[in-house]
Amino acid sequence: MSGVGSAGSERPAELLLECQGLHVAYGAIQAVRGVSLSVRKGEVVALIGRNGAGKTSLLRAVSGMLRPADGRITLEGKDITGMPSHLLVARGMAHAPEGRGIFPNLTVEENLGLGAWLRTDADGVAADEAWVLSLFPRLKERWAAAAGTLSGGEQQMLAISRALMSRPRLLLLDEPSLGLAPQVIQLIFRILADVNGKGVSILLVEQNAHLALNLAGHAYVLETGEVAMEGAGKALLQSEDVRRAYLGE
Amino acid sequence: MSDFLQHVINGLSAGTIYALVALGYTMVYGVLKLINFAHGDVMMMGTYVGYASALQFKQRGGFGMASVLAIFFLSMAACAAVGWLIERFAYRPLREKPKLTALITAIGISFAVSYGFQMDWGFLPGPNPRAFPEVIRRQPWLTLLDGEVTLWNWQVISFAVALGLMAGLQYLVFRTRFGRAMRAVSHDHRTAALLGIHTDRVIAVTFMLGSALAAGAGILFAIKDVKIEPLMGTQQGLKAFVAAVIGGIGNVPGAVVGAVLLGLVEEFVVGYTASSWRDAVAFGFLILVLLLRPEGLFGRVTAEKV
Amino acid sequence: MRSLLPALLAAASLLAGCEKKQPAQAPAAPATPELKAPAAPPPASDVILLGEVGSLTGAEATFGQSTHEGIQLALEQANAAGGVNGKKLEVRVYDDQGKPEEAANAAVRLINQDKVKLILGEVASTNSLAMADKAQAAKVPMVSPSSTNEAVTQKGDYIFRVCFIDPFQGYAMAKFARETLKLQNVAVLQDNKSAYSTGLTGVFQLRFAEMGGKVAGVESYSKGDTDFRAQLTALKKAKPDGIYIPGYYTDVGLIARQAQELGLKAVLLGGDGWESEKLFELGGSAVDGSYYTNHYSPDSPNPATQAFISAYKAKHNGKVPDSLAALAYDAANVAVAALRKSKSLEGPDIRDALAQTKDFDGAAGKLTLDEKRNATKPAVVLKVENGKAVFAASVSP
Repeated sequence: MSGVGSAGSERPAELLLECQGLHVAYGAIQAVRGVSLSVRKGEVVALIGRNGAGKTSLLRAVSGMLRPADGRITLEGKDITGMPSHLLVARGMAHAPEGRGIFPNLTVEENLGLGAWLRTDADGVAADEAWVLSLFPRLKERWAAAAGTLSGGEQQMLAISRALMSRPRLLLLDEPSLGLAPQVIQLIFRILADVNGKGVSILLVEQNAHLALNLAGHAYVLETGEVAMEGAGKALLQSEDVRRAYLGE
Repeated sequence: MSDFLQHVINGLSAGTIYALVALGYTMVYGVLKLINFAHGDVMMMGTYVGYASALQFKQRGGFGMASVLAIFFLSMAACAAVGWLIERFAYRPLREKPKLTALITAIGISFAVSYGFQMDWGFLPGPNPRAFPEVIRRQPWLTLLDGEVTLWNWQVISFAVALGLMAGLQYLVFRTRFGRAMRAVSHDHRTAALLGIHTDRVIAVTFMLGSALAAGAGILFAIKDVKIEPLMGTQQGLKAFVAAVIGGIGNVPGAVVGAVLLGLVEEFVVGYTASSWRDAVAFGFLILVLLLRPEGLFGRVTAEKV
Repeated sequence: MRSLLPALLAAASLLAGCEKKQPAQAPAAPATPELKAPAAPPPASDVILLGEVGSLTGAEATFGQSTHEGIQLALEQANAAGGVNGKKLEVRVYDDQGKPEEAANAAVRLINQDKVKLILGEVASTNSLAMADKAQAAKVPMVSPSSTNEAVTQKGDYIFRVCFIDPFQGYAMAKFARETLKLQNVAVLQDNKSAYSTGLTGVFQLRFAEMGGKVAGVESYSKGDTDFRAQLTALKKAKPDGIYIPGYYTDVGLIARQAQELGLKAVLLGGDGWESEKLFELGGSAVDGSYYTNHYSPDSPNPATQAFISAYKAKHNGKVPDSLAALAYDAANVAVAALRKSKSLEGPDIRDALAQTKDFDGAAGKLTLDEKRNATKPAVVLKVENGKAVFAASVSP
């Protein structure tokens, strides 16, 4: 592992999420091998790497979809290793999974409503609903449509909006740009910056390293399940190795 | 003419029972994507609980409205508990395993229950059939064609219960918070969990609900056909499964329509051709529906987007 | 009788191999599934050992238990009367759980290991058929008390029975329906998965028509069905004055209820498959006024019958014997009489003595064994009244 430009960028001090020596395995296959990383309060942290580098597995282990084989995960200082997903939502984590995970036979309204499943503050939910609809006005137009009839971009908007409906402190996003048109991607990343500006920390898995490193304050490069590099997003963008391996230059 | 009308009544009456069993089948399938082959046997167990409690009431002086409701409640509660046990200890450990594993387990449970109940050890009833007590006094509700054709009170009650449950379940699935969670879990329980839904609980409650429905169906079956025995669930369960598939498995109104159609088709085949054709035509009807509409009469092809 | 009744008790195989050897003069032990005793020593030379195979456990446990009681009573009485030429009679019993393969195994064990002189059993024709192959091959005579399927005694010249065969029952009911009840127009509802039921249907149809009656229609069901309304509705169209239902009590009770529900006024008629307390439980008042043929009625005025009943009652706290006990009692007595007449205790001699059985005064009526080794004897017709079957008539061949 090599730190890049760590001297030049200051990360926020307060830890939100920390993984220490995390191992994730599918049977005999080791997908994540001893990864340690952190997300500080207010940060956007990007995880980049090739297909199969272990990015999605790592995210799943964090959100309780997979039980890590070894290692420790803490959220706001509390151990959450192996905690089931539905309990993590109550602790301020939201995960918009790979493939968006929207429910195709539920309407847009119902999908969004499920995002606020655990919340009992009706007024707050209504306010958040208004907020995400202001971020993605397109969803308002498709309000009563079955989510399965939405375009890919609309589905991604819905997935992000739904994740935001739990009012998370940490948002996990898995490949939000996948399969989308360039303008839609730009829109989504602009809004992610807005969301981050509202104080939501983001852990972002992306194959599109350029986009991710531009948004992220801090980033990790995963290679075959291990952290190959880490550093400030902008610094990694300048790195020769990263440019050659992930930016196609 | 009178025999035609009588056949219609008979077919509706048989279809009503199929429908009640099929509702539970379709609910469990809807959420778990599991064909719970033990469903008919859960129905059988519920009927025996109803039988045992009915005997108690009979000894204490007959059946009033309250005791009939108590019989239903007791057997439905018992079956809900049994359903919880089956789901918790047989199906939940297999949730991440291939569907075939759970299916084989379901068949295993079905055999274990139906044959186990034929033992006469302890509380088990043994192989001999029993006559279910007349908990609802049989009375003509309507006589037609100079008394040639009679519609009985229990037929009307069963039919009304089936329609009521269908409407209730449809409301539950599409109009309630729990129903929304059921539909989410049905599509993808992992993503549902990411939204904070306690998926194990949703599945367990659905299973308990389906099992309680089976118990209710069992008692209405016993009111109709009187004889109860440990293997009764196998045949009713199979027919209800066919009905649910015809209607579009996972679809609540589909289960009822499929069941009523199946009941009528069987009735007319036996009444106007020969009884040996009954099962052949019933399954032929299933195959025909599946050929023309593989998703069943009411099933929807969902736009599965990954 | 009861040629099908598949034994489905998979788990009951736990009880496989229960055996019991019991000297016939011992006080009656209740025939319970716990029958278990260490293998008995080979009998002394002053003892004649007989074999018995029956369903002491399983779905038809009551069949085997009644049969066992009948055999025991007969052997006790025979031993009290001096046994066979001074030798005591003993019986070794094996439980087949109602399964044909177990019945065949039991027969083999009785023949090869216990070297019995004669085998008594079984009730269900399917089981008797399985045993008959073994007995015939070993030339050990076998007497079935109550298997009515024609094929049983066709297995060979060592296989006998003391009950009438199915065709006779069909004839007896046709005659009773036509001549006593004066029925004109009788419909039939048969179990088309049971050879017993379709066999009776065939004979009844033929004979009832010969006697000038009209068969209004034949409908079928399958054993285990619980809804017979479609068939009954179809039969109702023909306005029958009687319905012949040669099935088993488990189905007949429901058929009777549903016929009543559909407003069918016809008299219901049946065969010995109706014989069970369960008929009254399942059928309730709907079976009142029905008639069925049977081997025996405890109300029969026949002195041999009444003597058997009082002896049986004395031994079993006043319990009234069922027809299976009566037939088993006759089977054992026919066997004892043959053993007494036989030139030796070798299979061929015993066989010849059995074949000469003539005008034997049995508890279930006077019987003669014909050249096909079947019993020629009268049938009784029972009428169901207030949850009881009472003697209505006797029909001779």
